[in-house]
Amino acid sequence: MKVAIVGKGGSGKTTVAAIVARTLAREGRQVVALDCDTNPNLGISLGIGPERTLELASIRQSLDDEGGAEHAGTIDELLARFGDDAPDGVRLAVVTKIEKPNPG
Amino acid sequence: MVRGVGEDRDMQIAFVGKGGAGKSVISATTARLIGRQGHPVLALDMDTMPGLALSLGMLAGPEGLPEDLAEQREGEGWVMRTDVSAAELVRRHALPGPDGVRLLTLGKLPGHVRPGSTTAFRRALGFAEEGWSVVGDLAAGTRQAFFGWAGFAKIVVLVVEPTAKSILSARRLALLRPSLPDTAFVVVASQAREPADGPRVAEALGLPLAGVVPYDASVRDAERAGHAPIDAVPDAPAMLAVRELLASLGRIA
Repeated sequence: MKVAIVGKGGSGKTTVAAIVARTLAREGRQVVALDCDTNPNLGISLGIGPERTLELASIRQSLDDEGGAEHAGTIDELLARFGDDAPDGVRLAVVTKIEKPNPG
Repeated sequence: MVRGVGEDRDMQIAFVGKGGAGKSVISATTARLIGRQGHPVLALDMDTMPGLALSLGMLAGPEGLPEDLAEQREGEGWVMRTDVSAAELVRRHALPGPDGVRLLTLGKLPGHVRPGSTTAFRRALGFAEEGWSVVGDLAAGTRQAFFGWAGFAKIVVLVVEPTAKSILSARRLALLRPSLPDTAFVVVASQAREPADGPRVAEALGLPLAGVVPYDASVRDAERAGHAPIDAVPDAPAMLAVRELLASLGRIA
């Protein structure tokens, strides 16, 4: 199944998404959790801690970088390269992230 | 009215942080308190799903600024019409609210990108007429701030709940510091469960603590009912904490 979780900031999207992902994984399903927030915190709710969450590279950004899209492999290869393993076998990947603040 | 240190000067403050941290309540209350001191104050709701008006005690639609304040020029994209100054924009379009607060709403609805309206709003960000204070409530997360929307502020306040997710968001927002060398960055612990949450959050971010706003069920109830907390529960602990926060920001400004 494919589930998208949406809502206002602070309403609990990330927490609900993480619990859904881990529950499905515990039922024996293969689960990919995609963090589509420009401020991606899903790793924390999935249980990998802030440091590993901060280190996750964005798939989208790597594709936007020079030549990235041409050299991109399959979605499995992207997940293997840019994702991280969360508990219960959930594979986590960040889709969008903005790395560099611009001056005001 | 007794005036505290720093209350005689105008302030430009941007509130940033993770969704649900309490930016709108704190920024609306701050704007109202500045207004009560007798200063003209402009409140800016930068959220694409606006809600600041409710916390200010106003009714405002999500329509934002008129599209025709800006025009599209070949090779330049959307630019402000030269005959409309930022001061005029505020005078004409900022809605009057309680305590003399004026409100501008970005009002970009999802799926309805209005570049002219957004360009005009960005022009208003630079508004700092003599004597005016500006209080900005940025959209949740890091995106707007990373695109320069906090650049108007002399003080950036990171609104942080004492949770790992909120602290991580604030760590990302703190990356703005090198790009805004003349701006003070401070932390306010929001929805704090115990006084020690303040120092804990500030230490995690390596930034000075400007205030601790406790978790306050009465503020939650006011928000649930759609009332401005400063009107519904003016003496609630969280409201008193925002008063202290403003005094503390006044000492920085």
